[in-house]
Amino acid sequence: MDFRISVDTGGTFTDMVVLDPAGRLHIGKALTTPERIFAGMQGALAVVAETLGLTVRDLLSRSGILIYGTTRATNAVVTKRTAKTAFLTTQGFKDTLTLKEGGKPGPHDYSFDYPDPYIPRRRSFEIAERIGSEGEVVRPLDLDQARGVLATLKARGIEAVAVSLLWSIANPAHELALGALIEEMLPGIPYTLSHQLVPILREYRRASATAIDASLKPLMQQHLREMAGDLREGGFGGDLLVSTSVGGCQAVEALIARPIHTLKSGPAMAPVAGRAFAAVERMGGNAIVCDTGGTTFDVGLVRDGSLVYTRDSWLGPRWLGDIIGTSTVDMRSIGAGGGSIAWIDAGGLLRVGPQSAGSVPGPACYGRGGDQPTVTDAAMHLGYIDPGYFNGGRLGLDPEAATRVIAALAEKLGRTPDATAAAIMTIANELMIKAIGEITVNEGVNPRESVIVAGGGAAGFNIMPIARELGCDTVILPRLASALSACGMQHSDIVFEATRSRFTDTSGFDTEGVNRALAEIEAELAEFRAGLKGAEGAPARVELVVEARYRAQVWELDTPLPTPRIGGAADVAALAEAFHQAHERVYAVRDAGSPVEFVNWKGRIAIGLFAPPPPPDTVAEPYDPPPDTHRPCYFAETGVRAPTPIFRGAALRPGARIAGPAIIEEPTTTIVVTPGLSADLSAAGNYILRCGG
Amino acid sequence: MDDLDPVLLSVMANRLDGIVREMTNTLLRAARSAVISSARDFSCCLVTGDDQLLAPAEGLPVHIFGCHIQTANMRRYHEGDIRRGDAYLDNDPYGGNTHPADHTFMVPVFFEGEHLFTSVAKCHMADIGNSIPSSYFVLARDVYHEGALVFPGVRIQRDFRNIEDIVRMCRARIRVPDQWYGDYLAGLGSARVAERRLEEFCAKYGVATVKRFIRDWFDYSERRMIDNIRRMPKARLVNTGRSDPLEGILPGGLDLKVIVEIDPEAAEIHVDLSDNPPCVDVGLNTSLGAATSAVVGAIFNALDKDLPRNAGSFRRLRFTYAEESVVAAPKFPHSCSVATTNVSERLVNITQSAFAQLGDGHGLSEGGTGLGVGMAVISGKDHRRGDAPFVNRMMLSTNGGPSSPVADGWVNYAIPVIAGLMYRDSVEVDELKHPVRVESLELVQDSAGAGRQRGAPAQAIGLTPTGNPVTAVISCDGQHAPPRGVVGGHAGTPGETWLVGENGHAERLPNVVQVTWQKGQVLRGRDSSGGGYGDPLQRDPARVLHDVLEGWESREKARMVYGVVFTGEIEDETLAVDVAATAALRAERAGA
Repeated sequence: MDFRISVDTGGTFTDMVVLDPAGRLHIGKALTTPERIFAGMQGALAVVAETLGLTVRDLLSRSGILIYGTTRATNAVVTKRTAKTAFLTTQGFKDTLTLKEGGKPGPHDYSFDYPDPYIPRRRSFEIAERIGSEGEVVRPLDLDQARGVLATLKARGIEAVAVSLLWSIANPAHELALGALIEEMLPGIPYTLSHQLVPILREYRRASATAIDASLKPLMQQHLREMAGDLREGGFGGDLLVSTSVGGCQAVEALIARPIHTLKSGPAMAPVAGRAFAAVERMGGNAIVCDTGGTTFDVGLVRDGSLVYTRDSWLGPRWLGDIIGTSTVDMRSIGAGGGSIAWIDAGGLLRVGPQSAGSVPGPACYGRGGDQPTVTDAAMHLGYIDPGYFNGGRLGLDPEAATRVIAALAEKLGRTPDATAAAIMTIANELMIKAIGEITVNEGVNPRESVIVAGGGAAGFNIMPIARELGCDTVILPRLASALSACGMQHSDIVFEATRSRFTDTSGFDTEGVNRALAEIEAELAEFRAGLKGAEGAPARVELVVEARYRAQVWELDTPLPTPRIGGAADVAALAEAFHQAHERVYAVRDAGSPVEFVNWKGRIAIGLFAPPPPPDTVAEPYDPPPDTHRPCYFAETGVRAPTPIFRGAALRPGARIAGPAIIEEPTTTIVVTPGLSADLSAAGNYILRCGG
Repeated sequence: MDDLDPVLLSVMANRLDGIVREMTNTLLRAARSAVISSARDFSCCLVTGDDQLLAPAEGLPVHIFGCHIQTANMRRYHEGDIRRGDAYLDNDPYGGNTHPADHTFMVPVFFEGEHLFTSVAKCHMADIGNSIPSSYFVLARDVYHEGALVFPGVRIQRDFRNIEDIVRMCRARIRVPDQWYGDYLAGLGSARVAERRLEEFCAKYGVATVKRFIRDWFDYSERRMIDNIRRMPKARLVNTGRSDPLEGILPGGLDLKVIVEIDPEAAEIHVDLSDNPPCVDVGLNTSLGAATSAVVGAIFNALDKDLPRNAGSFRRLRFTYAEESVVAAPKFPHSCSVATTNVSERLVNITQSAFAQLGDGHGLSEGGTGLGVGMAVISGKDHRRGDAPFVNRMMLSTNGGPSSPVADGWVNYAIPVIAGLMYRDSVEVDELKHPVRVESLELVQDSAGAGRQRGAPAQAIGLTPTGNPVTAVISCDGQHAPPRGVVGGHAGTPGETWLVGENGHAERLPNVVQVTWQKGQVLRGRDSSGGGYGDPLQRDPARVLHDVLEGWESREKARMVYGVVFTGEIEDETLAVDVAATAALRAERAGA
């Protein structure tokens, strides 16, 4: 098979990246068509097919693999169009989904209501049973009572069932019995058992994951099967893979069984792309990956060549939304982007956001009725955007409107419009610097020893001053930056995770129990691998990780296992030392005298089905290209508006060196090269932005 | 000196904010005891070298005021002998601190030899060596009976190394010393993280710019405060409230009074706390820091949400205190053991609801108060770990929050001085850590204070030991005087504590109690609920429908209190508002 396709369907755009037999990547974009996703996919495919001189059907039929990234599940949750789901839990704990884990934004803000639970209380049912913390049966399962509850579900037309009982992770007997009862009494109704989906400690997280997963089953089963059917009819005969929230992909049937793993799968692919680009450019193992869109700025990390995961990922805002509960790639999102509105507060200070003009009405320069100055308007006013070439010329812009709203703000501020627009960019940068600062600090990654990989349509406007401010010398901005997630899918592995909860500590280490858990994890991973079609001989990486903490801490740190089994005291000591190191890296202190507690054990297998194209071994010959044209632009660094060289990306060859101030225009992204800094085009076709002092 | 470029002002303020967040994250994640890592009973801030509060974290409102007094004392006690590498511990309620349980770690930050900042991390310790196994001791007759180890600005590190004498003193006296030491490391680590970042901050911008920034940032904050107060009506708000009685000691509770004078012309808010009872021979006396923080926090509830909280905005607040009082003016050796909770909770409620006197659209109702069973300090010996001792405050159930002119109460509110910022304990985590089992944990139907905006409902919990007997210390101030509604809103419902025997017999316990109970017995508690805001008959029927569907309010209460009549049934999801009948019933009620 000669082509490989990856598709990232976002809320607005469907991004398509196609790898051709020569190892070149091609990008296609089209508007997403929510009613039938395949239509938008065909639109984006048509863009690529045309450049390759093929029909869409030819391209599909000559492709061996298609990796599909979807926001369908996320959208269903956000718009509350999931199945009518019942929540079954231990008697006395019906409110687990309502009570959540506490936390509230702002100590003085009483302007918002308490959020509704993911599943309404009226569809939450208590089961007469109780397991204790040691797995002992405190109260046997009352089967008659359970049958009564299931009869009620049937009568009320429930479409999916989430079962999450207290301590099912220590003893799953009652959940399994309920599963069997559901099969018997509600045949065909999809259900999820918490200990099978996420066998982790903490009842809210487990219940939330279980509820979300069950509620997505009817919808995602239909959607993914429909997609497979559409592709087959379109001529595709290869393997359909779906991208997941751990930054990998899986066979479509696996995700039909556990649709929760498709949540946030798009953003999870950005660090995968970042890792691949950093490797291609041989820039070391630490990367900060930024994806700048119109309304959000997403940031994630690659640490020592590995993705960074979290269990603290929320659908919707933290505390107000619902926790996903499964392990996901740690991608943080803040509301800052091209649409963020600039305003002056009562103390006379210029502020940017958190209000956004969104895409409707959008920035003033979109000409759709927006009358508030936004970051995009500032960039427009400063001359960074060619009004006729924005988004490949598909969206005509109104520069006068941008200048009008900027000038009005400037008058209130008592500064020139140019200085005001530059100040808006600086303040917007600050929000992003803070977001990057938080994730790097949290994870103990030093920006000074990392490379930034920047993606998203709006990344190029301000990534250079941001990098300089963080002390980060180098930014990689791929030519296909605007489709970073779809690029990531081209480099993704098939990834599968297995988890066991086995609580123990270093003072009385449960060697037997832990080794049993590890054996079960490895068996589950091996079974997964054996069941994978076409993966014979493919390279596989297995990582074993334990969530650990000091005695009495409540928050765990992911700690890699130094040995695959715990043989004796030396192995326990090595494991404790691995935790001490992780703790010191993240919190700057270690408590060598304290016992270390171990909570959840995880195994992750990554199977490299398709090797990424080898990095080019050529060194591009440096040269200084002539600018395509000049345009007056204003830079804060120089404080003047002056004719600035404009380069069209299509005309640049590897080795091109461009000194700032300058603008580089690619069809789907624009790079502002800051005065005093420079950019060059690498042999692999990425822009390398030099931001060091 | 010229004014700083406003963009640079923003940028530098943002950087400081980032430093405090980093401190907060370090402390939260690295701490040992649930009271810090779950309940978030801590706060971090930056104070200038000349003792002005510069940047507070989004920490508990009850910690916001007083750190500058503690840093000033540190400088006074150690004048001429403070240097880089030092760290200080203070928990003296007579020296600006909130109460002895709050161990405050202070690190003086030097740049080019000059003491420019002090980073401050304040954490509520699970145990402080009191004479009873709780850091809250309501019945403490005086500081000697209370028994806390007190550190008035004591040096605990020199040249970045512990002064081990102090650590040994604490280990010799504090229960579960490893837990304390873990929290000590977390608190100190947090202050040290800030030190590193502040040194980088100074190196980047230079001392002159940093000083100009500090001056301009305070001026900016003051301008914001002036603008905000000028938009408020001129008023003198007088409000009173009462704390729960203490059996045999304070049979009538304490009558408390707060007077708030808003002067838009002078752009100033004056708070008079002077008309309050004298000190009492129990641990209820509030320190200057705790009481002032409670009132300042409640005032900020009435101001713009993004108003900076620092010495600049505080310039526009003025306080009058009594010479000697249970409110903000303790006299040695009276105990301030529970200064941050009981009376302070009431002060928050009295102050925030006083603003409702300005009319509909202002202020808040009263929020649920009291640390009940679900927030008790439990201790004992863990049979699963060779009878190892344990002590901790739980955060399993919480009171319901107050309602505002636009929103219903926040369910996970805890108490007014925590204001919803804490995390709840996981039932499974608590059962793993302590030899107890949670029998049930649920919202209480029909408990909420009714109103156009409804208070948050109460929660109920049952706890039983799984091995040895367990001792709970409950210092609840929320079982007699329930949270009040405002602007026509109804009061919430008070909390209760019960001990249920093996035979099922339930005995009501007093609101302040130390109880040891056995396997087979259940300690049952119910927290209080938030008061309502506005007339319940004006509540949007769609909201009432939602409450009934969700079981927060019953159909009967909807009819009787909210005047909303339904058709259909909850069970088959056909429940709907009977618009005509509702209009008729509401008209009849309004006329009655």
